[in-house]
Amino acid sequence: MPEQSNDYRVVVFGAGGVGKSSLVLRFVKGTFRDTYIPTVEDTYRQVISCDKSVCTLQITDTTGSHQFPAMQRLSISKGHAFILVYSITSRQSLEELKPIYQQVLAIKGTVESIPIMLVGNKSDEMAQREVETKEGEAQATSWKCAFMETSAKTNSNVKELFQELLSLEKKRDMSLSIDGKRSGKNKRADKLKGKCSIM
Amino acid sequence: PGSANSSGSGSGDVRSPSLSSDEQSSEASLVTEGGGTPLHPDTPDNLTLAVLDSVAGKRFGHCTTLLDDFMLTHPIFLTADRLQQVLLQFSFEGDRGGREGERREEGRGGGRGGDEDAEAAMMDAAERKQAVLNVAFRYLDTYRELLQEEGERSNSFPKELYLCAVQELTRYPELVEDVLKLQRWTEILHCSEEEKESRKKQVRPLFRHFRRIDACLQPREAFRGSDEFCRVYTPDHSYVTIRSRLSCRVGEILALVREKLQYSEDQPVLPGNLILVAVTSAGKAVFRPSDEAVFTTLGVNTHLFACEPSELDSLLPLPEEIHWSPGDSKLHDMSAEEVSNQLVVFDWELFSCVHEVEFVCYVFHGEQSRWRPLNLELVLQRCSEVQHWVATEILQCQSLPKRIQLLRKFIKIAACKQQQDLLSFLAVVLGLDNPAVSRLRLTWEGLPGKFRKQFQQFESIADPSRNHKSYRDLITSLRPPLIPFTPLLLKLTFLHESCKTFHGELVNFEKMHKVAEMVRIIRRYRSSQLMDTETSPSHLQTKAYVRQLQVIDNQNLLFDMSCKLEPKDT
Repeated sequence: MPEQSNDYRVVVFGAGGVGKSSLVLRFVKGTFRDTYIPTVEDTYRQVISCDKSVCTLQITDTTGSHQFPAMQRLSISKGHAFILVYSITSRQSLEELKPIYQQVLAIKGTVESIPIMLVGNKSDEMAQREVETKEGEAQATSWKCAFMETSAKTNSNVKELFQELLSLEKKRDMSLSIDGKRSGKNKRADKLKGKCSIM
Repeated sequence: PGSANSSGSGSGDVRSPSLSSDEQSSEASLVTEGGGTPLHPDTPDNLTLAVLDSVAGKRFGHCTTLLDDFMLTHPIFLTADRLQQVLLQFSFEGDRGGREGERREEGRGGGRGGDEDAEAAMMDAAERKQAVLNVAFRYLDTYRELLQEEGERSNSFPKELYLCAVQELTRYPELVEDVLKLQRWTEILHCSEEEKESRKKQVRPLFRHFRRIDACLQPREAFRGSDEFCRVYTPDHSYVTIRSRLSCRVGEILALVREKLQYSEDQPVLPGNLILVAVTSAGKAVFRPSDEAVFTTLGVNTHLFACEPSELDSLLPLPEEIHWSPGDSKLHDMSAEEVSNQLVVFDWELFSCVHEVEFVCYVFHGEQSRWRPLNLELVLQRCSEVQHWVATEILQCQSLPKRIQLLRKFIKIAACKQQQDLLSFLAVVLGLDNPAVSRLRLTWEGLPGKFRKQFQQFESIADPSRNHKSYRDLITSLRPPLIPFTPLLLKLTFLHESCKTFHGELVNFEKMHKVAEMVRIIRRYRSSQLMDTETSPSHLQTKAYVRQLQVIDNQNLLFDMSCKLEPKDT
């Protein structure tokens, strides 16, 4: 599946440790792991249905540290849609998204036609919650973007996150399921059995 | 340890039997024969002792090249631990030797008084200890950066030496300066936990894999043992970026990739064994799990893939390699002088990053494993990259008049380089000599006569006859700072094929000497600094361009492009 110019590029930003990689890997591989391995930059590709054909969804998982601002700017300028992740257990992580949002705004000029999803991850950790759902919703409203709370650990709202993001893109008609009939569970089971279910 | 060579004669003859008599003359090498080494083949321990004796003034009269030879090449035949042991032994041998010396004198019924004997013995012992310290400092100075990368492990050497030396101070108070110096070394090599942590954070991206990034404008820093970022792809062209030492084994790389992709035991279906494959549009090569330091040996457009063995055949190369946006290259807007300046600045940075020991390691490829010639490999890659850049730029240029302009530009670029940067100079010449380029008859015919003549002169420097005599003549006439055409380094010292490193247990020190001579020549090239390396803001574009060359290195593809520009038989 060579890279074509009609790839749809989604970039995931957020502070270190909020669960960006967990969300991406839960979506792409269906797995979850407790061990924390800081990301530098990884990109995962997946075929999705697009208009009346297929295209490749390219999800870039970025670093939570601030080591590579140039790489960050490059990802923003090339990206079509953005997922801004914070952890509901850390108010600080929501704060850290503000400069990232500003940078997206600065580089893209406008966020009007750009799908952006604000994500409060780790929704399973109810006892450690620092950011209420309402606060996340309010932040999304002020940024004029969508909002969702997810848990990569319990696989809550993960697929919905990506499906919703794709539906926000007005220039293309995209969907995660190729033939529209298989559900997420079946797909994964097929993968494990060694069948290629999404190509 | 055994020799990697199957051919080669005995220890005396260091010349390759396959060369003509003309080439075998001493002129046929950059390394002149005048003054070989006084050391005959011997065991590693004995060689070390001989060197110590020499430093102590007992043999060969303080032969300084001997110490330099030993310093540069001993990792080939001596582990760090063994070196340390021999040094300490020699130091204490002095004490025993002293007393034995007394007894010997008495036994012979010598005429001298007992006190004088004791004094002579003390001087002897002091000289030995001094010799050990001198050799130790030389070692620490030579390998300083490499030892610092190794962390606390390599600090045990100066520490132990220091502890022993401190105990000697009462008997040998003159050693106090050196003892203090040793203590400073233990501090220099001491790697605190905070330093380790902060160094972990300073990981630098492998420049090839992070093109188009501002970081490429920063001066190159040497790769040492620390972590770097490396990109590994999966069959669908997803990729993960892992952190690992550049020198690590393929097995470890795969373990990191597996961890990244969250393959774990609790998945109901384990993936099969992953293999690591180097993929380019020209082919694929599978690495063995035991292979090491694979990143720096990759070609310009070669990428690493991790996949299951069953997926090997269907692996496709990354499309960036052959996907080009139409339109003129930026090169048209840049002056030959400025491109040339940026080439030499970058080459100098790369060349300066190569530690002297890397040249030694490169010659003895596979015979020692403590240090890896990572930065040298990058220099060689750069050379290949420049060659392919020249061909790529010309073959991408659809318009004949513009292509002729490019030819002129490259020849001008080469002209700027021939006094100093022979790496880019010959790389440009070889690029223009690429069969896909040299067959463009119409393009070459469009070149003004004086440029064609000039190019012919340049080509003659690349002439390999008589073991590259034209090149050797040129480089011996130039003054430092100077960048040699590094790929020829091995060939011009024609060492490896002809000389065995070992004869059984004995080290062929003559070979060590020749290798050290080669390093001393390089030392001379680097003995002065490059001037005017600052780049004005108006030239930053050129600087970035030169450091992020996009090239096609698939020869078949280049040839196809050439035939499209000027079809055969026209």
